[in-house]
Amino acid sequence: MGGMHALHKILANCARPRQASVMPGEFVEVEPDIFGVILGVNGSDAKRLVADLEELGIDELPLKDRIVAVADHASPAPTVAMAQAQKLWRDFFRAKGIRSFDGGAGVSHLVLCEEGIARPGMLGIAIDSHAPTMGAIGMYATSLGGGRLTLYAIGRYVIEVPKVTLVRVSGTLRPGVFGRDASLYVNGQCGQRGAYNNAVEFAGTFIDQLSMDYRFTFTNMGTEMGAVTSYIQPDRVTEEWVNRRGADNYTIYETDTDFVYDKVHEIDVSKIGPQIAVPHAPDDVKAVDEVAGRKIDQAYIGSCASGRLEDMAAAAHVLKGRKVHPDVRLIVTPGSREVLKAATAAGYVLTLHEANAIVTSANCGACPGLHGGILAPGDVAITSITRNFEGRMGPGAEIYLASPATVAASAIEGRIASPLAYL
Amino acid sequence: MKLTGRAWKFAQADINTGLIRKQMYNHLPPQEQGKHCLESLDPKFATNARPGDFIVAGTNFGCGSSTPAHYSILALGIPAVIAESFGSLFFSNCVGGGLWPVVCPGILDLVDAGDLLEFDSDTFVVRNAATGKTLQGKALPPIYRATIEAGGEKPYLKARLAKERA
Repeated sequence: MGGMHALHKILANCARPRQASVMPGEFVEVEPDIFGVILGVNGSDAKRLVADLEELGIDELPLKDRIVAVADHASPAPTVAMAQAQKLWRDFFRAKGIRSFDGGAGVSHLVLCEEGIARPGMLGIAIDSHAPTMGAIGMYATSLGGGRLTLYAIGRYVIEVPKVTLVRVSGTLRPGVFGRDASLYVNGQCGQRGAYNNAVEFAGTFIDQLSMDYRFTFTNMGTEMGAVTSYIQPDRVTEEWVNRRGADNYTIYETDTDFVYDKVHEIDVSKIGPQIAVPHAPDDVKAVDEVAGRKIDQAYIGSCASGRLEDMAAAAHVLKGRKVHPDVRLIVTPGSREVLKAATAAGYVLTLHEANAIVTSANCGACPGLHGGILAPGDVAITSITRNFEGRMGPGAEIYLASPATVAASAIEGRIASPLAYL
Repeated sequence: MKLTGRAWKFAQADINTGLIRKQMYNHLPPQEQGKHCLESLDPKFATNARPGDFIVAGTNFGCGSSTPAHYSILALGIPAVIAESFGSLFFSNCVGGGLWPVVCPGILDLVDAGDLLEFDSDTFVVRNAATGKTLQGKALPPIYRATIEAGGEKPYLKARLAKERA
């Protein structure tokens, strides 16, 4: 048996009782450094949680100082029912003294990283299947499935120690091809079960020279390979990014040189052009040219996959001095307030407005189909969101996934179009 | 414990949580969500399923969002989902809710829709009562078994806290 992966060292450290090592396949009970929750949309769920904690005799939450609530899904509230539900959740967070970021802060896992709350070497368990996005800063970040009451009540969670799949990406992108194109291509190559129930680590010469913005894209999309957590080994780029956000107290774990990966995917991105995932699977990836010309009704830029400043910059670059096609609505939802402020300062937001785009506050927006651009049956959308499952943005609609530049170019033409002519 | 029930078969791979219960019903009380369970794949399922029936599913059942789609299954009184494999978040959601998620490679070949099945939660053996054939499912770790046997997270925690406080 080989050595340990950095992710395994994080789990061993957070195991209760603490362990010297952990083995893939072993179930360990852990105490996380962060428990990320969101402002819920289900009121009966909030009532039940309050009643359950009372019934269990839990008043003071053991993880109180490690719980962070963010309003990202359906925020600000789009319906009376959801407004009522969110009120109940707010009451609960206040009653328990839970730190909260309310409407407009952004997508929870991005906010946690930007605020310096999530740091390298930590174990974070957070509601939302794309919580592994936080692995871009070199932590063990996983989504909460079941176990919510247990985390609130006794601060513990059970994790099956995963094997690790290595995705080694090499090459330099051609002009006009973006980090999201590379990420889409990798998902297409690895498939929806490319890291099934494993952890996935992204590495290689391409990842080494990648900005943090696009590293978040990669770790985000690990979820669409079936991974339970995504990881990028921290380097100078990571440290510079987290240090700037005041997260100066952290641990960087290293993977032992004799660690044995369960699977290795080697992927070269040097020859690819703009990429697109066609309905209804995030791994059904083609060259944009193969589906160019398909008429669209809505274009959407945002989400925790591609709602970063570089994504806003790419969209603004394509749309500068141009207009959105009159038959199309283009909606842009920045991933966080930090992104929205920076995009405003850089002039991108004005460029988007001048192109007749709808720019919204920072949140999950239209991605989970709850507000901010829900699709009608029969609508065709091109978007930069996380996944294009049937019905995600509205029942009976079709979703194509592409880079913000491709989405912007398509919004101009009213049909799926390569951005190369605009760059 | 031995459970017996009729099989509802959803054989396609990668049935995501949005297909189990559309996101647009996420805000509804759990019991209401049951009425929409798997409606995208079989509009009559929620009406015709009976408490005690089983869902038999293919590979990566419940992949995608961590949304508590299992509420819709629990609302119908279905005690177990037996699948070739599961999406990890749905899998642990089932455990927390007290619903047996049974990984059972080969189950699609063992079962036809409507067959009467027996599931033994002590041995994890699945038996098709119609054909007499059996398959060995993957045993769950003790803490998951204890949670489901207790009826879900809350009763499990109640017992655990009582023991710790004693």
